[in-house]
Amino acid sequence: MNEQGARILIVDDEPQIRKLLKVTLHAHQYTIHEAAGGEEGVRQASLIHPDLIVLDLGLPDMSGMEVLRRIREWSSVPVIVLTAKDREEDKILALDSGADDYVTKPFGMGELVARIRVALRHVAKSANEPILKIGELTLDLAQRIVELNGERIKLTPTEYDLLKILASNAGRVVTQRQLLQQVWGSNHSESESHYLRVYIGHLRKKLEEDSTQPKFIVTEPGIGYRFLSRD
Amino acid sequence: MGKSLWTPWWSYASITLLISLMTAILHPFILEVDLVNIALIYLFPVLISSVFWGFRPAIYSAIVAVLAFDFFFVPPELSFTVEDLRYLISFGVYLAVAVLISSLAARLKQQLLYSKQKEAQTASLYALSSQMSALTDIHALLDNVSRHVSQNIGAESVIYLPDDRNKLVLTHRSDDLSDWGKSEAEAVIAILTFEDGEAAGYGSNILRYSQGYYLPLKTEDRIYGVLALNMKELKSGLTAEQYQMLEAIGGLAASAIARVKLAEEAKIAHLSAESERLRTAILDSVSHELRTPLAAIIGSSTSLIESDHLFTSEDRMELLTTIRDGALRMNRLVINLLSMVQLESGMLRLRNNWCDVEDLIGVTLAQVKDFQEHRTLRVHLPENTPMVIGDEVLLEQMLVNIVSNAIKYSPDYSDIDIKVSVDSDNLRISVFDQGIGLSEDEYVRIFEKFYRASATKQVTGTGLGLAICQGIAELHGGSISGRRNEPQGTVMIITLPLKKRHEMYTIPEEKEQDEYE
Repeated sequence: MNEQGARILIVDDEPQIRKLLKVTLHAHQYTIHEAAGGEEGVRQASLIHPDLIVLDLGLPDMSGMEVLRRIREWSSVPVIVLTAKDREEDKILALDSGADDYVTKPFGMGELVARIRVALRHVAKSANEPILKIGELTLDLAQRIVELNGERIKLTPTEYDLLKILASNAGRVVTQRQLLQQVWGSNHSESESHYLRVYIGHLRKKLEEDSTQPKFIVTEPGIGYRFLSRD
Repeated sequence: MGKSLWTPWWSYASITLLISLMTAILHPFILEVDLVNIALIYLFPVLISSVFWGFRPAIYSAIVAVLAFDFFFVPPELSFTVEDLRYLISFGVYLAVAVLISSLAARLKQQLLYSKQKEAQTASLYALSSQMSALTDIHALLDNVSRHVSQNIGAESVIYLPDDRNKLVLTHRSDDLSDWGKSEAEAVIAILTFEDGEAAGYGSNILRYSQGYYLPLKTEDRIYGVLALNMKELKSGLTAEQYQMLEAIGGLAASAIARVKLAEEAKIAHLSAESERLRTAILDSVSHELRTPLAAIIGSSTSLIESDHLFTSEDRMELLTTIRDGALRMNRLVINLLSMVQLESGMLRLRNNWCDVEDLIGVTLAQVKDFQEHRTLRVHLPENTPMVIGDEVLLEQMLVNIVSNAIKYSPDYSDIDIKVSVDSDNLRISVFDQGIGLSEDEYVRIFEKFYRASATKQVTGTGLGLAICQGIAELHGGSISGRRNEPQGTVMIITLPLKKRHEMYTIPEEKEQDEYE
């Protein structure tokens, strides 16, 4: 799919926000469709088959979560949710229910555009690329080899699994629950969330020059982790 | 008193024995001693019995003494016949003296008894009043009163107090199992007593045949409630002393209730003064903190809209940056206000997750990167820093606030050090800056809402940040404090509790592998 000219559906009840998004995203060469409420959003999504949806979670007629659920029943279109700062739980719930990423209001447009790009690119990418290259880091998924600046990095199986999930979602946030489920195959137990932090710490020690100023794996407090994409 | 009237039989026996003994001892001296003296000696048992046993034994002993004197001493001896009739007058005088002495002695004794009782009552009231003056809780106070009533009167008691709408309700019962006092009839008499301010019920002038006795708890100017006694068990009724005692307890209870009420009212008055002060502070701070950025935003954007052609692209960028910064500042204020409200209302649900301190610091550094300018931020972490339990988002907010302050109040190109230290119970994050130092007492006051140290007045801020930090630290069972940094600047120290070592999880061993397949 071509990133340029992608069709984006904006579902937000605030005309000011819609106007802002419309003008800015249009300037970035996207085609914009608007919906002022949840019902209309679901209908538009089924009618115009957008390439991406920007969804405000705080809608008056139907909760954003409900909109997300209805769309996810038949479509895997990338959805970026807009939330308020103090609704951490909503963010996690939305992400775990199939939203691709989130942006907290008030947001800088640069941030939103970056999230949109990553989400669109992620869809465009074929699922089984054997080699991931992100900046100086190379992951050979077939041979389970990790290289940083051409040098081999030795990882334990758990570290490797974590890195693989994060890197193949480069630029996108991965929630703690998603990581726990995919690496430990379990639901959220306290000991495992403890391990998760320890292993992320280990990974950073092996990959980062300064683990208090990470360049690869950044923490989204309360949500999860994001592997920074290079562009 | 009933006791003194009905002196036991042995007092009469002792009197009889004493007089017989005296007679036996005195009889041999009948010729040497004048009869008048002997008669006077016979007053002695009368005196003793009136002092020790009271009126009746005294009369008894007078009669026995007269008889013994007559029989053994007055001629003809060993006969009740009297030769000289003048002796009959002597007997009369003798009896009269005996009666007088014994009644005087008996009255003395009664007074002694009475003052002893008074003393006991006073002691008991004193105990009650000193106990009550120490009580600030109304229920403990009522409990004390009813315990005293049952100790001194021996009756079950209930207390009615007016509620917020001045409606009398049953507030306390001495016996939780009893239903007495709950019924409509009892409540009606209680209300009557409350309104009239006069005792009512059993034995009083109003409704004297009802089962309960109702006493208003009143001070000179106000009635505070009603003390009611269930008189069912007290068949004999109350004595005058018991009524007095009740009155006294009632008075004490009333003044104690008045004191507690006054204390409560004073507290409320203090609180409302405090909230008034806070409201003013909020208004001042918020209006200033909102208006300044708003003025910048409105000013810059209107110039851009109205006179776009006048500006160079550099000017335009300058104005746009002003708009952005103003909006960001307003955003910070809104976040701070919301956090404060959430913290104060107790609405905040603390998530208890494992938090990696290194990670928290990393996130914080990323957050402040844009405005640290040329200050150097250094992190000193011990090997294997343990994790803390807490809410990552809140802990991050706290740390960002502290580090932002360090940046805000210290000169550009200075150093800021973030040091983490660990002992067996706590983890400490200390942030050292080389900026404005404060005086000793200001390091306590900076955690108050809307307080801003005088040295920091020229830097914008709401005075909320540190209050929020303290709230967050306390929510995590930790604390936060500040002190001067030597030679200059400030150190802020966050202390967070650590889980015991055995509660931490050990990571399963894993080998690094060269070949995975």
